Amino acid sequence: MKPEHVFEVDQIVAGYDHKTIIKEVNLVIPNNKISVIIGPNACGKSTLLKTMARLLKPASGEVVLDGKSIEKIPSKKLARTLGLLPQSPIVPEGISVADLVGRGRFPHQSLLSGWSKKDYEAVAEAMDIMNITKLANYHIDELSGGQRQRVWIAMALAQQTDILFLDEPTTFLDITYQVEILDLLTDLNHKYGTTIVMVLHDINLSARYAHNIFAMHSGKLMAEGKPSEVITSTLIKDIFGLNCQVIEDPVSGSPSVVPIGRHHINYS
Amino acid sequence: MRNNSVTYIMEGRQQRRRRWIIVTSILTALACILCLLMLLLGNTIYPIKDVIRTLTGEQIQGVSFAVNVIRLPRMLAGLFAGFAFGIAGTIFQTLFRNPLANPNVLGITSGSSATAVFCIVILQAGNAVISIASLIAGLITVIVIYGLSGIRGFSIGRLILIGIGVQAMFDALISYLMLVSAEQNLPAALRWLNGSLNGSQMHDLPPLIISVFILVPIIILLTKHLSILELGEQSAISLGVNTDITRMMLILSSVIMIALATSTTGPIAFITFLAGPIAKRLVGAGFSTIIPAGLVGANIVLASDLIGQFAFDVRFPVGVITGIIGAPYLIYLLIRMNQRGEL
Repeated sequence: MKPEHVFEVDQIVAGYDHKTIIKEVNLVIPNNKISVIIGPNACGKSTLLKTMARLLKPASGEVVLDGKSIEKIPSKKLARTLGLLPQSPIVPEGISVADLVGRGRFPHQSLLSGWSKKDYEAVAEAMDIMNITKLANYHIDELSGGQRQRVWIAMALAQQTDILFLDEPTTFLDITYQVEILDLLTDLNHKYGTTIVMVLHDINLSARYAHNIFAMHSGKLMAEGKPSEVITSTLIKDIFGLNCQVIEDPVSGSPSVVPIGRHHINYS
Repeated sequence: MRNNSVTYIMEGRQQRRRRWIIVTSILTALACILCLLMLLLGNTIYPIKDVIRTLTGEQIQGVSFAVNVIRLPRMLAGLFAGFAFGIAGTIFQTLFRNPLANPNVLGITSGSSATAVFCIVILQAGNAVISIASLIAGLITVIVIYGLSGIRGFSIGRLILIGIGVQAMFDALISYLMLVSAEQNLPAALRWLNGSLNGSQMHDLPPLIISVFILVPIIILLTKHLSILELGEQSAISLGVNTDITRMMLILSSVIMIALATSTTGPIAFITFLAGPIAKRLVGAGFSTIIPAGLVGANIVLASDLIGQFAFDVRFPVGVITGIIGAPYLIYLLIRMNQRGEL
């Protein structure tokens, strides 16, 4: 099991230029659990994740890991505890899958060393988990969207962090791949106890896979807790402005949102 | 199961590594051969053993002067300038993830040249002042184009377009300075317009050679950082790279090498542009292209100079030959990028 950490967001205000997007958010990330941040477009989910991953400096407030502000932790050291898969990472031209996954080893390597035995093992492990070992010598350009996403996650896994952030890891993927990616992340959480925090668009998949939900609306944290407690028709109305019924997901027993539009309504 | 995966991944990587080693060795061997040819060939072709004897310090009538005073400085200037241009070019292209983003196209070389011409024509300054001024001008040019392209969000396309504009401006300035220049200053100023190894002298070389010996090791130490920067700002920060400092150190090292190489040989057209992509094609991705690009740069300069000297009835400076090779490639690249919608 991965070691315990205390990861806190303390009174964060953050944004771009002079536009404030996150307005005084406080939260504690549950250890060894999967947390999902949900909320409507432009509510600040990605901005919050970026601030937590030190990609964005908060205007005020602090992100604290084990009692220390993350800005004060040396960047390579922090990268051994905390990893992030950005929403749209950039693929270097013509690189092979194994070499790309190996770049996740950067925080563990010294300036000049080649790959150590440990590096090879970490890369192999990450690729085995993501089921892409057979693709090791392919060029990234040759892969499908779903395969690519698994490669990126493998790179983040090779980093061997205790905490992993993912910014919309399933966006643009077919439903089959979405479920596959979320299953793999759940395996990872079960097997190693990796603390996972991700931004997802699909509320029903979020409710199914998350231990904990953070619901946001216009830069503020509106609710947090177990999906069964948080996902209610009132909350969905409040943060998404959508009328809906919340039913029990027949497969997982988690809450499932059934939207109510203006048409196709069977009862009065 | 895990061991099988490790072996499989290791084999693939070792194969790519072997390719890197083979290509780099061949490029090194080729550079050695070209260096040797630079010493052997000239108005008179001397036997190899005479050339070696002169280089080891023996005085041989006729041979010593031609080799030590004319051919050796010419060869060293080509070798080190080509190496420096190649490395600096590939660093820019990798940092900005675009083959067009190289010091030539971005107007950095023109900035250095215009300043040097200004120092020669107007201030009548000495060599040291010219080198330092052109170095500073190169850095200021980088800051200006970087700053201008950062307004309302940084974009590579804007960086390149602004760079092209800045380059045109500097080129116009150079033309103006040439027009008002006193006649006796023209030969020195002309040197800054087109790359040439003609008249390279031993005492001009130390700044370039020393900078290569100091900066290339620093750049090699940053190779891994550069390969992480290639994944984009967000991934790089997440992996623990201090992106601003790394980028600054790499740009600074490149600009110093370019300015010093330019002050030695003039701006040899297209080397910063060609070396990186050729090296990448030869060694494949995944391993660093820094040293291979330097070697490709040196090889192109030396080979082009040999062609310029001996292939035609008239002797052409090296920049003319590299220009003839480079221009079609630039056009090809523009067409391809336009088709892919990258411009």
